[in-house]
Parts: sequence; C-alpha cells; structure tokens
Amino acid sequence: MSATPTLVARAGTWFHRYANPGRFLRLGARLQPWLTWPALLLTLIGLGWGLFFSPADWQQGDSVRIMYVHVPAAMLASAGYAGLAVCAMLSLVWRHPLADLAAVEIGPVGACITALCLATGSLWGKPMWGTWWVWDARLTSVLVLFFLYLGHIALIRAFDDPQRGYRAAAILALAGAVDLPVIKFSVQWWNTLHQPDSITLTGAPTMSSSMLWPLALSTLGFSLGFAAIVLARTRAAVMESRIRSLLSSPRRRADAAPGEAA
Amino acid sequence: MTRKTRRLWLVIACVACLGAAAALMLKAFSSDIVFFVTPSQVAASAPPADRTVRLGGMVVAGSVQREKRGETPIARFDVTDGQAAVTVRYEGILPDLFREGQSVVAVGTMQKGGFVASEVLAKHDETYMPKEVAEALKKSGKWDPRFGPPPSATSWNSMTVQDAKKGLASSGSAPLPASTGN
Amino acid sequence: MTHLPYILASYGLAALIALALSIGAALRLKQARMRLAVLERSSDRTTGATPSL
Repeated sequence: MSATPTLVARAGTWFHRYANPGRFLRLGARLQPWLTWPALLLTLIGLGWGLFFSPADWQQGDSVRIMYVHVPAAMLASAGYAGLAVCAMLSLVWRHPLADLAAVEIGPVGACITALCLATGSLWGKPMWGTWWVWDARLTSVLVLFFLYLGHIALIRAFDDPQRGYRAAAILALAGAVDLPVIKFSVQWWNTLHQPDSITLTGAPTMSSSMLWPLALSTLGFSLGFAAIVLARTRAAVMESRIRSLLSSPRRRADAAPGEAA
Repeated sequence: MTRKTRRLWLVIACVACLGAAAALMLKAFSSDIVFFVTPSQVAASAPPADRTVRLGGMVVAGSVQREKRGETPIARFDVTDGQAAVTVRYEGILPDLFREGQSVVAVGTMQKGGFVASEVLAKHDETYMPKEVAEALKKSGKWDPRFGPPPSATSWNSMTVQDAKKGLASSGSAPLPASTGN
Repeated sequence: MTHLPYILASYGLAALIALALSIGAALRLKQARMRLAVLERSSDRTTGATPSL
C-alpha cells in the first residue's frame, strides 16, 4: 500500500460510503417514491398518447404504435446490461457488496425487458415485414443479449458460496458487454432487415415530432420504472441479507448493523 | 501499485482483449453476417442456381406486373440498388408494405431468367411520418415515394397533422406553411 | 389493413410484465420489511439496545 491514496483507492472510498447497508436503506427509501410515481405517470401518459392520440404512420399505419413499447424496451435492454457491467466492474475491482446485490436483482428485470423487446419486435415484424423472425444481425445480437441475461441469472445463483457466484457472473457481465456495441451498430455495419436508428446523436430525428414526444415520454417512464423496480428489489435484498445474518447470530445484533465507522 | 489498482488494470486488459477478439471475429464473418446481397453483387457474380440467397433492394417504379394464375397471384418486379437491377418473380401474396419504391428482401434462387423468390419481406426505412404529412409532401411535389427516400427530416418533422390538412385544403400545389423549415 | 391484434398484444404484454415485476418487487419489499421489524424488535428485547435504524 502506498502512502498517498491513488485515484482508484479514493474512488473506492467514495463508492464504499454507499456500501453501508443502513445508509443505503435510508437513501433508497427516500429515493423510491421519486422514481415510482413519475415512472407510472410518464409511462401512462406516453403510452396513452402513443396508443390514442399520435398519428398513424404514412406507410405502417397504426402498427407504428408498437414502437412506443418496443423502442423503450430495446433501449432498456441494452442499458440494463450496461448497468450489469458497471456493477461487475465495481464488484471485481472494489469488491463492492451492494454492486453484487444489485447485479443479482438487475438480471431478471433486464431479462424480462429484453423478452418484451423481442416479443414486441416479433409482433411488429409480422404485419410489417411479413415475418415473425429473421436471423439478421440486429435481431440475432439482441437474442444473444437475452441469453447473456439468462446465463448471468443462472451463474450468479449457481454456487453454494455466493461470493464465487458474484465473481463468475461479474466476469460474464463484462465479457458479454461486447455485445452492446454490436447491437448498437449492427444496423450500420451490415445489411439488415431491421431499419437504422431514427434518433441519432448527430442528425435530426427522421421522425415526426408528433411521434417523437410520446416516444420520449414513454422511454423516460420505462427507464424510471426500471430503476424503481431494481431499487425496490435491491432494498429487499439488503433487508433479506440482514434478516439472514440476524437469524444466524441472534445475540450479536451489532454485526448485523455495522456502524457508521465502516 | 495497490491490489485494487492491479485488479482494475487486469479487468481493463481482459475486456480490451475480449473486445479485440470479438471485433476480429465479426470482421472475419462479416460477409456471412449480412442479411442480404445487393443486385450489383448478384450482377457481378451470380450465385449458383441451387444456393438460396436473399436479395435486397428497392422496387423499381413502374416495374411491377401482377397477374393471376388460378388462385395464386404472381408478381414480377425489378429490384435495384441504384447500380444494377434484377428481375424477381414471386408467386404468392406480397406483404402489406410492398409498393413501388419500397425496399424489399426477396429470398430465393438466381435462375437463368431472373430471380425466383420463395418469400418476399418488406423492409421499411427509419422514417416515421404521419399519413397527412406524407400526403401534403406528395401533393406539393416535394416527394414521390416511388422514386426514393423522403426529403430531409428537418423540413417536415415539426409539421403537424393540422398544418398538413391546412396545406392540403388551401390548394393542391401551393407551397406548404411548414415547408420553409424550422 | 388493420393490425389491431398485434398492437393490443404488444401493449398487453408490456402491461403484464410491468405489473408482474412491480407487484413482485412491492410484495418482496413489504415482506422483508415486516420480517426485519419483527426480528429487530425481538433482538432488541434480548440485548436491551436501542435500534439504530
């Protein structure tokens, strides 16, 4: 150990301030309503707008309304996996205990949203393209993402010693992160049946603003909802781990709730 | 170097190696990952008649001929990528989105007389536009869907259905209020 | 050309998944909170300490 703390060590200290379960539970309880209610409101407004008030597309007709579910789900499928990769980094390098608990909880939620993305994509593809499924680069890379999620869910629960499961799953999460740029750029690198992105960082969106607004609202709503569900599940997981440690050593309550000195 | 720093670099190195390996692999398989081949690729070197290929391109305006033999409709149309065109023959019901100027992917084999498709998929582009706006753009002569992609999105993506209806109602060919762009 | 069944199926699926996930998370949180409260009360009684949370 060197005398002056390195940047890595200092970053670790900062992350570990939130490793204290008591502090996390207090912060989480305060944050929860600010995620849950805006998520519900924005999603309902976005989807209601998309379903009833946004215009039909000139070539796709009313089927374009599937976009307001499919696009947020697709964005969150990737973003959720990116979150998993960040947790993996925190876990492998700084041994952050909360990152492990969060990774356990992000997995199933991310898998559900990826399944929703694939299913709505299929439901959109059948009437528009004329097929439920094709093996083009975009669809296949998202399917790979779905299997990565399933692998992560299985691996993190596969060991009797949870620490080994956390390590193995973290390695899988980091290795699988190479799929994220492949998903993003697949529509540019290769000929695909899937159309390129309408919303890019560089150009104007090739979408009417009357469709962009409901899409933006539902995307924001879905994202907040994803965060709210992951936060609620992680809070529950922290409480469950405290319950377990209380049950295993009922007399040593101090161990279950380490003080602010950590 | 502390243990944590070492771990960080180890993880970064592993991710970098993995990324490089994946990139190389994707590069190597690039030709297999493409979902379809273009008419100019087919024109340059026709695939053997027994190999199923997917041919992608735009349906040439005015090239669609439909006939009916008994119950099954037969369509014949040219598919182009701007450099070469291939004639496609398809027996069956075309997808709803099929039209002249639309991108399609035809699955089938290259025969002597042209491409014989067993399946035709419609490929829509990334442009999302209300019907009324599209009508207004067509009426004003700014865009004909049969001959290519719509004009730059900035000229219409803030145009509302009301604008479009107003433009259509006032007169067929007058310039649209929203066409000045904003 | 109506594609209403596909649209309704998409929205229905989204609603179903959202409901399942959020109800599951809420129930789990509620149960954990209750069990933790019971345990901490009983362990406080045995040690006589004041709860820190």
